[in-house]
Amino acid sequence: MLSHATTRDWLIPYADGMLAADERRRIDGHITGCPTCARELREVRELNLLLVTLPPAPPVAFAPFWLNLQAVLPQRRVLRIPWMQSHRRLGIAFAMAATAALAAGGSAFAAPSALPDNPLYPVKQLEENVRLALAPTNERLAIQLELATERLQEAQAMAGHHKPLLAENSLRAFRVIVDDAAAALKNPANPKAAREALHTLHVKLDAVERENASRGDDDEDIKQLVAAANDELDRIEQDEVAEPPAIVIGEQATPRPTPQPTVRPTLRPTDKEHGD
Amino acid sequence: MAQSEEVPSTEGDAEERRLIDRSAAGDQEAFRQLVLRYHRLVINVAFRALGELAMAEDVAQDVFIKVYKALPTYRHDKPFKHWLHRVAANTVTDALRRRRPVISIDGLEQSLVSAGSDPQDVAARHDLQRAVRYAIASLPPHYRDTIALQAFGELSYDEIAKALDIPLGTVMSRLNGAKRLLRDRLGDLVRPSEEANTA
Repeated sequence: MLSHATTRDWLIPYADGMLAADERRRIDGHITGCPTCARELREVRELNLLLVTLPPAPPVAFAPFWLNLQAVLPQRRVLRIPWMQSHRRLGIAFAMAATAALAAGGSAFAAPSALPDNPLYPVKQLEENVRLALAPTNERLAIQLELATERLQEAQAMAGHHKPLLAENSLRAFRVIVDDAAAALKNPANPKAAREALHTLHVKLDAVERENASRGDDDEDIKQLVAAANDELDRIEQDEVAEPPAIVIGEQATPRPTPQPTVRPTLRPTDKEHGD
Repeated sequence: MAQSEEVPSTEGDAEERRLIDRSAAGDQEAFRQLVLRYHRLVINVAFRALGELAMAEDVAQDVFIKVYKALPTYRHDKPFKHWLHRVAANTVTDALRRRRPVISIDGLEQSLVSAGSDPQDVAARHDLQRAVRYAIASLPPHYRDTIALQAFGELSYDEIAKALDIPLGTVMSRLNGAKRLLRDRLGDLVRPSEEANTA
């Protein structure tokens, strides 16, 4: 039979249903013959009753809640401005360009190669935003692919310099760019060029993964972000070759052959190669 | 009390991950979708802790602002929901401590079990709940954070362990300590009515 002290120690998990059946039986046995512990158990249950009867919130409308929240959210750099009116985009882009020119001054030529750990990196981001905002629609995809490649080179460099958080940020920014470009990549004006661009991005992702894996203490988040980015590219690649079904009226449509995903050579290192 | 843990689909995970990454990069539309998914949960935690809707909405906004600021440092090694619960529990208990009123325990010696729909009973029940909330807010931080997740967040022991990144045994030990202190501080309020009357 359990001692009085042990039983008191276990009353709360007992009341919360956290004990195994045999432990419960032993405590039941003690409580049956111990009025003090029985009273204490009633108090614990009374407290639990109070805690679980704290009432839930009544329904709250989302729209006003979000509007109030949005009004006080801190501003952060945004990579994508597609929803803006074109004249507004132009105005903002012009202001950004002017600011960039002033801020960068004589260092403007150094900014394009700045890495995320470089003080000039914000200037580089500003310049990229301006380029993207001013780009004609038919050139937008090319710029997005260029920026996506740039993010992966940064991620590779940061992984190599053992700055995993900066590498992760670059990989997340890469995902945002690819996400923005996904629609254009799925219906490209030049499918061959798009496939080649996707292949290049896979190769760059592999390079980031290799750089990360080359260190003894490789970062798990980088691995996951690279894997997620590869999956995203695979999805785009598979969607890209899929064509809309033909519409035939009055007779049985001839089904199109099922599109096969493009096979790409894998450059990702196997576990074996790295001796993991 | 213990709730079964929601297991989101892999597609749901991927979508949430995408929303988090985009929000971290400054995409407010993605953040709006995250808030849309979780605003009820956060407002509910805040309301259970504070008992007033307007105050709960204000605190819920504070929670989401903290989340928005911290998203660039969020690592996907634990579920976003658990991380959100932790931020919410910290924020609401801070708000509770800042707004702690003076409550006279003397006027509250009426058990919840005896409270019915009579206006006086309802008022007594509200006072009792308020006393419990502030007793939780006055606990030492490690006890407070743990029991806030149980009482306000309605999380199971296992979910609390994941949210706080501590072993299950530590959760049990902390809840044990927290509830003992609460019983001491609430005194007759948690004594079953027949015993409180005869005491």
